[in-house]
Amino acid sequence: MGINNKHAMDYAIDIRDLTVAYREKPVLWDVDLQVPPGVLIAIVGPNGAGKTTLIKSSLGLVKAAAGSVLIHGRPYSEQRANVAYVPQRGSVDWDFPTNVLDVVTMGLYGRLGWFKRPGKAERIEALKSLAQVGMEEFTTRQISQLSGGQQQRVFLARALVQDARVYFMDEPFQGVDAITERAIVDLLQDLRKQGKTVAVVHHDLQTVPEYFDHVMLLNVRRIASGPVEEVFTEENLRTTYGGRVAFVSALSAANRT
Amino acid sequence: MIDLFSDLFNDYTLRTVALGSALLGITAGSLGGFALLRRQSLLGDAISHAALPGIAIAFLITGSKAPLVLILGAGIAGWIGAALISIVTTRTRIKYDSALGIMLSVFFGFGLVLLTYIQRQPDANQAGLNSFLFGQAAALVEQDVFVIFVIGTLVLLFMMVFWKEFKLLSFDSDFIGTLGFPVRLLDHLLTTLFVIAIVIGLQTVGVVLMSAMIIAPGAAARQWTDRLGRMIILAGIFGAISGVGGAITSSLIPALPTGPTIVLIVSIIVMISLLFAPNRGLVFRKIRDWQAGKRLRVDAVLVDLYTLASQHASAEYPHSERVLDVMSTISGPARRTLKVLNDLELAKPIDSTHWSLTPEGVLRAERVIERQFGGGS
Repeated sequence: MGINNKHAMDYAIDIRDLTVAYREKPVLWDVDLQVPPGVLIAIVGPNGAGKTTLIKSSLGLVKAAAGSVLIHGRPYSEQRANVAYVPQRGSVDWDFPTNVLDVVTMGLYGRLGWFKRPGKAERIEALKSLAQVGMEEFTTRQISQLSGGQQQRVFLARALVQDARVYFMDEPFQGVDAITERAIVDLLQDLRKQGKTVAVVHHDLQTVPEYFDHVMLLNVRRIASGPVEEVFTEENLRTTYGGRVAFVSALSAANRT
Repeated sequence: MIDLFSDLFNDYTLRTVALGSALLGITAGSLGGFALLRRQSLLGDAISHAALPGIAIAFLITGSKAPLVLILGAGIAGWIGAALISIVTTRTRIKYDSALGIMLSVFFGFGLVLLTYIQRQPDANQAGLNSFLFGQAAALVEQDVFVIFVIGTLVLLFMMVFWKEFKLLSFDSDFIGTLGFPVRLLDHLLTTLFVIAIVIGLQTVGVVLMSAMIIAPGAAARQWTDRLGRMIILAGIFGAISGVGGAITSSLIPALPTGPTIVLIVSIIVMISLLFAPNRGLVFRKIRDWQAGKRLRVDAVLVDLYTLASQHASAEYPHSERVLDVMSTISGPARRTLKVLNDLELAKPIDSTHWSLTPEGVLRAERVIERQFGGGS
């Protein structure tokens, strides 16, 4: 255990033997993932590969049948303050009666603890991260009146305000236009420059080499993970995505050029 | 008529009834607001029905009809009902709506059986339990109001203390979990407050229609505001208004059960809110749509006229209405829109069926074309 522990200290995210099952059906099977600090990693795989479940079980939202998750060498329950989470945009009701600033302030509820209400200091911090995502003009906007890209940026601002070391993001590019996507990528790369670690569930294989340093190929089992240039190969993609060979090889041909 | 009623009922009764139903209206309305946002409105219906056997069993065990005893019985049964729904939904393949329906009818049926059994008993003490079906505000005495007051205040206090937590739980329960708040504990706490808010109203409103006090005030309040705090306060106020209105009306008219009366009043509030609330109200939305449509039709006919004019030397060249009817892809006859254009001095009639653009009309048409086809802003 002593040696293991020392080894684990080197990683921002260290997932070992993670197994999750819904009603006997395995969703994740014996998954290992080691992510060094200061890395942008894409988690890719077909629908139903367990990408969301991987994030949710890392954050203790889904109970794992087996395995361990360490964040900077310690269990997640001790590291909550250092971890931020951006859920899928569709996971909440955007007609909820609240405004943009209010949602971003929610990122500070953990630091506030029980009962304490957010005040002026929290407001200022929330405004700062809204400015980081270019949404400072939407402070009092009712959230149902936001476009998909704006909703996504509000969620990002809520995670930024948590000022974490490790970020888990579930499809932050889903349903956003090209300009917003660029803005989000810049933001992610800023986070990396600050030495933060960002794990992103990603769907667009084409942009993986451009946006990310590391990639994890997941399909219930871990197919491969590591630096993009080493593991983002046609063979690994073929294993991950199964039958859709034509699409995969067209893609990797595109990558070589 | 009114004098007759005030003769029939002294102030004391009326005051007691009004106060009690106002309190339960506020409590049910505000907790119901949260339930609405968490899409648990129907859970309130299931809980209130599930409470009936609890009331009967509490009476059978203690032989007492003291409000606290019956509320406790109702609360325990309602809570068990809610817990069973959640267990069935998570542990089996039965879906949430089916689980709700099953629990509601099983508990309610069992409650009715127990009530019938109690009524067959020789001792006459059972009178009054039946009023739990449709509610009887007139039966409220000072002791009941006191119990409602204490419990209702406690529920509202808890809601305010945990305001921030309940808000985030309702908006994004996964996220609050990652912040380290115990999601299940908070969920149980909010459900428990919900159960209590329901059971303190059962004697007045009745198990069958209590859900109206839970669902309707929140649904109406949501129409008027986009802020959670204001919505919950408004739901409380709507709950109080309908509670008091229903309770007093049914107290004044003998044999009129309170539940249905409250439902009628709260339905009127909901109807007004659905129709006339600014922004979300149907009437305002229709007006906005209609104005937008009118603007669109005006622009379309204007552009059609301009297109026709551009095929002739002069912008003043008269064009027949029939041609415009054929060109118009948005609406039927162009005549009404042409009249609007005339009022705006953008087009003028040459004779009874021919129209031409005015110079202002030409300018406006060019702007519209630029906006729609010219790119840029």
